[in-house]
This record gives sequence, C-alpha cells and structure tokens, in this order.
Amino acid sequence: MKALWQIFSLILREQRVSLIRGALLSFLVLAMGAALLGLSGWFITAASAAGLAGLGAVFDVFRPSAMVRFLALGRAAARYGERVLTHDATLRALQSLRLNLLSGLMAAPYRRAVRLRGARALNRLTSDVDALDGVSLRLFLPVLAGLATQLAALAVLWWLVGLPIAVWIFIGFTGGATVIFWQTTRKTAHLSRRAEAAVQAFRARLIDLIRARRNLAAYGRVTAQVELTMTAEGRRLDLRRQQDKAERFAGAAIQLLGMGVSAGALWLGVSMAQDGAIAPPFAALGFFATLALAETIAPLRRAASDLGRMAEAARRVSRDIATRSPIHGGAAVPDGALSIQSVTLHRDLSSVPIIEDMTLTVASGETVALTGPSGVGKSTLLLAVAALHPVSKGQILLGAASVSDCNEAVLRDEVTLLPQRSALMSGSVADALRLAAPESDDSALWQVLEVVQLASTMRARQGLETAIGVRGDGLSGGEARRLALARALLRNSAVLLLDEPTEGLDSATAMTVLRNVRDYLPNSAILIAAHRKAEIEFADRVVPLI
Amino acid sequence: MTPGAQLQRRASILSVLAALLWPLQAAVVAYALGGLLTEDEIPVLGVVSAYVGFGALRAWLSMVSEAQLQAAAEAVIHSARAHIVSVEATRAEDSRFGGAGGITALASEKLDLLAPFITRYSPARARVMVVPLAILALAVWQSWAVALVLAISGPLIPVFMALVGMAAKEASQRQLVEIGTLNDLLVERFSALVDIRLLGAKEAVLEGFSAHAGELRHRTMAVLRVAFLSSTVLELFAAIGVAMVAVYVGFSLLGALEFGAWGGGLTPQAGIFLLLLAPEFYQPLRDLSAAWHDKAAADAVLEEFGVWDAQETALLMGRGAASARMPGAAAISLRGCQLPNGDMLTDIDIAAGESVALMGQSGAGKTSALRLMAGLAAPVAGLVQVAGQTLSKDTADAWRARVGWMPQAPHFLNASLRQNLQLGRKGDLWPALKQAAVDDVVARLPQGLNTRLGEAGGGLSGGEARRLTLARAIYGAPDVILADEPTADLDTITAAAVTDGLLAQVTRGATLIVATHDPELAARMDRVVHIGAAR
Repeated sequence: MKALWQIFSLILREQRVSLIRGALLSFLVLAMGAALLGLSGWFITAASAAGLAGLGAVFDVFRPSAMVRFLALGRAAARYGERVLTHDATLRALQSLRLNLLSGLMAAPYRRAVRLRGARALNRLTSDVDALDGVSLRLFLPVLAGLATQLAALAVLWWLVGLPIAVWIFIGFTGGATVIFWQTTRKTAHLSRRAEAAVQAFRARLIDLIRARRNLAAYGRVTAQVELTMTAEGRRLDLRRQQDKAERFAGAAIQLLGMGVSAGALWLGVSMAQDGAIAPPFAALGFFATLALAETIAPLRRAASDLGRMAEAARRVSRDIATRSPIHGGAAVPDGALSIQSVTLHRDLSSVPIIEDMTLTVASGETVALTGPSGVGKSTLLLAVAALHPVSKGQILLGAASVSDCNEAVLRDEVTLLPQRSALMSGSVADALRLAAPESDDSALWQVLEVVQLASTMRARQGLETAIGVRGDGLSGGEARRLALARALLRNSAVLLLDEPTEGLDSATAMTVLRNVRDYLPNSAILIAAHRKAEIEFADRVVPLI
Repeated sequence: MTPGAQLQRRASILSVLAALLWPLQAAVVAYALGGLLTEDEIPVLGVVSAYVGFGALRAWLSMVSEAQLQAAAEAVIHSARAHIVSVEATRAEDSRFGGAGGITALASEKLDLLAPFITRYSPARARVMVVPLAILALAVWQSWAVALVLAISGPLIPVFMALVGMAAKEASQRQLVEIGTLNDLLVERFSALVDIRLLGAKEAVLEGFSAHAGELRHRTMAVLRVAFLSSTVLELFAAIGVAMVAVYVGFSLLGALEFGAWGGGLTPQAGIFLLLLAPEFYQPLRDLSAAWHDKAAADAVLEEFGVWDAQETALLMGRGAASARMPGAAAISLRGCQLPNGDMLTDIDIAAGESVALMGQSGAGKTSALRLMAGLAAPVAGLVQVAGQTLSKDTADAWRARVGWMPQAPHFLNASLRQNLQLGRKGDLWPALKQAAVDDVVARLPQGLNTRLGEAGGGLSGGEARRLTLARAIYGAPDVILADEPTADLDTITAAAVTDGLLAQVTRGATLIVATHDPELAARMDRVVHIGAAR
C-alpha cells in the first residue's frame, strides 16, 4: 500500500493540475448523476401530486425541467472531460516514469548491466508500468471521488429528505463497500501476485524458446522448453480462474449492496411518507438518488481485483527508482595522457585482487598491448580505465584528472572502449555507425568502413543502407566485430581501449585493420587487451599481466 | 473462436433474462411510490421483499452468465497461446513477423485483449436484440408518446456506433503496431546497454525512446478519445431521451398534456414506471457501444495473430525432442548442398572418428555448413547424409542426440548455470567443465553452478562464456562434436587447453568438426576443408 501511495504521489507530482481538475470533474459526474435522477424522481412525483390536487396550473415546471436538461448535458460533458484529462495525465506521468526507469538502467553499475536479462527488464518497463495506470485511474481517483460524492449526498439528503435516510445511504454504501473491498483484496492480493509471476515466467520462457531455438533444438530441448512455457501458462490459467471467481463474487456483492441500500431507502421513504414525516416526492427523491449513487461503488470491483497486481508492480518499480545510482557527476576535466598509478583491482564480490599495484602510462600516439591468459584481468583493467569498474587502490588519471571524478559525458568523449562483446541493434549500417557519431556525413562513414575493411563488403550489398537484423543478424561474426570497431573509431577519442579487437578476423585482415586504425587516429593513445599474434605484433610496447 | 461458442450462447441468454428482471423491479417501485400519492394502502414489507427478491435473482443470473463468459474467454486465449508456443517450437528460424519481443507481446498482453471482447460483446449484442424491444412494448402499453420518443432516438445509436467502430478499429491497429515496435526496440536496447553508454549515446537513445513512447501515448489517446467521444454521444442521446420522457411524463401528470396515453391519461404509477424504464432502454445500446471498442481491439489482435500465423519459415527438422541415439558410424557427407542465399557448398565427406577443420573467409558459409551437419537447417537443394542415412524430419532428432553443438555466440537461458549446462541430461558436470578448462571459473563464481548469467553470458569474459558452451557440448559424451570458432576469444594457453579438450573427444572415438579462422587449431586437426571456393 505504501508503494502504491508512493507511485500515486509521483504521478500526482508529475501531473498535479490535470489530475486535480480530473478529480473534481469525476466528483461532478457522480454528483450530477445523483442530482439528475433524484430531481427527476422528485419532479415526476411532485408534478403528479400537484396534478392530483388540481394545482397543475401553479406548479413550476420550467425550472426543474431546465435543471434536468442542464444536469443531463453537463454530466455527459463533465464525463468526457474527466476521462480525457485523467487518462492523458496518467499516460504522460507513466511515460516519464518509463523514461526514468530506462535512464536508471542505463546508469546501472556495469556488473548489473551485463547480467540484465532483456525479458525481465522489458516486463518492468512495459507490463509493470502499464499496470500502474490503474493506481490513479482505477484506485485513488474513483475512491476519492466516490467518497466525496457520498459525503455531499449525506449533507444534501439530510437537508432535503431527513437524517435517517441520509445516514442509512451513507453508512450502507461506505460501510458495505469497505467490507467488500477488504474481503476481495484479502482473497485476490496473493492470487494476482502469483498470476503476475506466472505471466512473467511464461514470457521469459517463450523468449528463450524463440531466441535460443537452435541451441534448444541441438540438445533436444525444444519440447521440454515448450512444456516449461505451457506449465507457466497453465499456472496462470488456474490462478486466473480463481481470480475471476473472486471478482465475480465481488461484482455480485456490489450489485446486491446497491440493491439492498436502495431497497432500504425505499422502505424508509415509504414508511416516513406514510407517517407524514416527509412528502411523497421526497421519498421518491431519496430512492432515485440512491439508484444513481450505486455508481460510486461500481469501480471498486476492478480496483479490488487489480490491487494485488498494482501493488506488486508499484513495489518493483518504486524500488528501481529508489536504488537508481547517480551517474558520474564529477566536474574534473580530463586532459592529457593516460596514466595508471599503482592500481589494485578486485573482481566483483571477490576479496582476492586480480591486479595489484600496477603502473602504466600510455602516451598519445602510442599503442600498448596487454597480454596474459584468459581471466588475468585485461578486460577488468580496461573497464576500470573507462570508469566502469571500481578501483580499489591507486588511481587512473587522464592528465591531472582521475577518471572516476570526471563527468560521464566528458569522459565518454575522451575515452572509448570497444568491449569484448558488442551488441549491434537492428537498423541499417549507417544507423549503427551514427549511434556513435550522429553528425557524421556519408563520406565519413565510408572512410571508417574502409579502415575496418568492410567498405567493399558493404558496397557489394546495399552500401550504408545494408540492413542489420535483430542483434546483428545478417552479419558474420567477423563483420559484426569490425562494424563495432568502426563505431568505436568514429568517436575520435584521445584514448581508445580495444578488448580483443580483431576477434574472428583472419591474420592478414587483422593486421591490415590494425594498421588502418593507427593511420585513422594517429594521435590517440591505444591500449589493447591482446591475445592474438597480430595484435601483439602491432603494438609499440607489450605489457604482460601475470 | 470455437472453444467457447456454446458457453457464450448460454451466457447471453442468461444475461438477457437478468436484464428483463428490471421492469419487474420498476413496477414494484412504481406501485409503491405511486400508491403514496393516490394514498392507497401499501404493504411496505411485501413491496421491499419483492424488490429485493427480483434484485437478488438478477444478481445471481448475471453472476452465472459471467462465469460462463469468463470460462469461454480463458478457453479461447489459452488455446491461442498454446498454438503460438507450439508453432514457434516448430520453426527453425525467426519469421519476418518480428523478434522474440514482438511475438511474446502478441502471446501475452495482446491476446489478453480478447477477454473483454468475449465477456462483453456477445451478451451485449444479445441484450440489444431483446431488451429495448421489450421495454418499447411496455412503453407502448402505457403511453404511445413515450414509445415514440424511444423509437425515434433508439435507432440513431447503432448507426452512430457503426461509424465510430470503424474509426476505433483503425486507431486500435495503429496502437497495437506501436506497442510491438516499442517492445522490440526496448529488448534490443537492453542487450546493448553497455555499448550505448560507452558510445556516449545515452541521451540520443533516451530521446529516441521518448519519441517512440510519446508516439505510443498519442496512439493510445487516439483510441481512448474515440471511445470516450462515442460513449459521450451515446450518453447524450440517452440523457436527452430520458429527459424528454421525464418532461413529458411530468407535464402529463400535471394535466398540461392531454395526448400520448391511452384512455384516461397517465397514472402516477405509470409515470414512475416509465421513468425507471427509460434509462434501461438505452443501457444495452451503451453496453454494446462500449463493447464495440473491445471488439475493435480484439479484431486488431486477431488480424495480427493472422499475420503471425501466415508467416512461412523453414521448419525445424524433427521435433527437437530428446531421443534415442541413431545407430551407425558417425560419418557425415554433404552432397550438392545449396544455402538459402543461393551459394553452393563444396561437397564434404567426413569419416567417423575423423577431426576436420572447416576454413574459409568470413561469410563463406562455414557456420551454415555446421548447421546443415547438425540438422539445424535443411539445404535448399542437395543431401545431407549422416551415419549412412539421409538427414530428414524422421532422423534429425535421433541424429542430434549424438551431436555436441557449440555455437559461435553463447546464449544462456533464464535458468541456473547448472540447468543451462545439463539441459535436461543427468550426471556430474565437473569432468566436462575440467575438459573445457573452465572449472576454475565456475568454482570462483560466488554462487557456483547456481549462478544465473546474462543472456549472452554477461558476468563472465567472452572466453569464459565460450568455454562454458564447450563444456555443454562435450557433456554427455556425444560422438559428434560440431564447434563454431571454439578458440575465438581465447589466449594461446587457454586455446591450447580447449583444443586438447576437443581432441580428447576424438581420442575417445568422437568425430570432430570445427569451423575456424585459427591456423593453430586447424593444424591439429586430421584434415582441413576449404569452404567458399565454389559459387
């Protein structure tokens, strides 16, 4: 409930004016509805009483009938305004919430970012955030508007009809609704939490079934994965049925409550009129208004059945917002050569250092190769230089500034890291390259393709418009590697960190590409995590890590 | 839509019966309130219990009807979902429909949009056919003028609704397309988070996402606006109709209007009765119009489902199920095989127990050749023979049961490392891990074999992830090992260790085929086959 309130106040903060207006309009809709039906009931009964008494000529018909028309039209208009206003405001607030979440994910520590599973993160950003639209639209706004209407009705009915009927209606609706809401959420909260988990499992497993179809087929696991996927769906179906049942009971209870309260109002009204305590038209007014007031509790059914799902989504999303790590905000400006001074690095969650007291300077225009067996810490060192891995001891400087104190955007301009595995996104070759340098013209793109020896390959296809499929589909391993390298080169950085840049290339191509890279960026300091002969031979200096 | 058709029909009948109970309740109320005016004796208890009795019956009927509709909806959605899962399982490659994100969106949240359609539309349609006519008949019985008002204003609603329905469907379709695009976009961005950050493209990507999200909001609001506008117009029609009835009834009761009723003018009871009935005359029409949007959304989903269903892709040979191993010596031969891109592969013959390196330029077809040998793809033309049999849908499962497959790009399922390596097989993993020279790495992981890795092995270095897929390939002692670039990402010492691990399988008697650029690895094979010369 706390998380729900937190999300609601977030939405409210984002779209305060629209939501307050929307809330007022939704109150107006309900109040005008009650007034309309109450007035019509009173009008007909009073008119008929006047007609029976032969007072038809003096009975004022025009003001009530004008009121009826005004309320009918006003209510429809208010309803339209309320819906558009609250939906638009909520969707806007959720859009910025989504953006917030995505930006948080992008600033997440490296360790978390690489282990992030697309499917789960997608759920957070789509279905979780989607579920949250109910927080304002189906929970807080209807409940607040309904309560306000009930209070207003209590006052007006007390004044017009009398205390007993007014109190009966108020207590009947609010008390009954509270009990129904409480009982239903007690039953459905855990159901919808588990159903949501089943849906997420279904999605994750289906994504695996599609994404890893070759691996699964090779190991005879396709049918088993289908079974796993359908098990999750079966679990969801089972829970959904239980939820449906609880929801039906809630719906029937709400219907019966509306009927019970109106029956009581009818009884009280008729009895009071028979006793002469009130005039018959006011008994009619009370009964008709009660029929309309049933509308205040109708949204509870959806609210109660969605509460569990909303609460879960709110809990996850608000936790993600809360733990968002701020991106490097330092003010230091990097200037000058890369120097690594007595640096000690630890692997994630490990107390044994993998690099101890290391010192290394790479001058502008120099190429240094780091060598050593897999797992010795080459990649970790490159990550540390790119400020993506914490430095336990010592410091990494660019000129006088430590990389960890630099502003993220400035640092990314100065230092470019080509990680061991790069992800390409679907789009054209030009799109892939312009991700790194949006301002580049076509000739700059061709130039860099020439550097990585992809120009002729791409010319033979559709040039810069050659399509790349999802996750680099359509390119061979070597082509993808070179495109990622080209992308890194376009950054034109003073410091270039290359993690096994010529992976998947034959030796001749690898050597040509590396020479071209140096010609393309004659003044950059290049640090390579090397494991191939070409990379080692190409370097000016080799630093073995043990 | 057959799974729930009968349930839907029964539920519709019940919902009509429930709606027809309201005139009875209205009559009771009119009798009581009218009686107050004419100062008749009213049995309060009897009136209230009749009102409550009919009301309870109505609530019960609606609940039963709803139960059947929900069951119908779940049946339809569940079977559509099962269909998607089973068809995707038979495909050997992604279709043009879209990536995993798009298909998953269709199978989960989009199919859910069928539920409101099924639970609301058909009962609303049934009510529209019966309830307004019944109320009109009751109105005619009491007053032809009221009936005239209803009869004129009523038919305008369906006409308007049809117009709105068309606009609504188009808007829903555009919205659905946008949802799918946004999902696919996000899935990709997530797998490229680190790259995006390193390239300083965070702001640009956020902007792009924001533009797409804004577009989705516009589309959603467009759908909602049509929905809100149409329901507002219907509400207006209904409100005007009810107000006209109320005013007419009021004036008649005052005695100001002398026409419209039969015989001696309108009684108070009849007036109140008509006023209570008037909103219910319009209610089914409004319900149907609300459901019309559910129908539009459902139609759009069904259309998309149809597009997905019509996709034709290469089908997986066999079922991809665990199977008994195919008998016979593990020889492989490729004869006149043509790849989907039109290239011809050189004929290749590999004897059982041989170790062979496939070499050739990037993009020459090494990976495709390995896929053909593994039965993961079928040639456009030509034959793949394994263990003396032609590889086909009947033999593929049994053949693959003998194959250890090591793909170029590691992919880890959303499960523990142990489950990822065992893949349903039983036994100790450590010998395989040791042979792949990756046992230290696993031992160092904080949660060991219970670790959940990122999709592409995030959390490990490229070489480590690669060696894990090797461990998976040699686990279970397959007698054919197909490895795509097994030494890529590895330093010389580890590469030698991996090569030793692979060759140990040959010593054991397995056939080994590697696609590689690595001359050192190739040199340790019995033979090198060059790929890519023939075209």
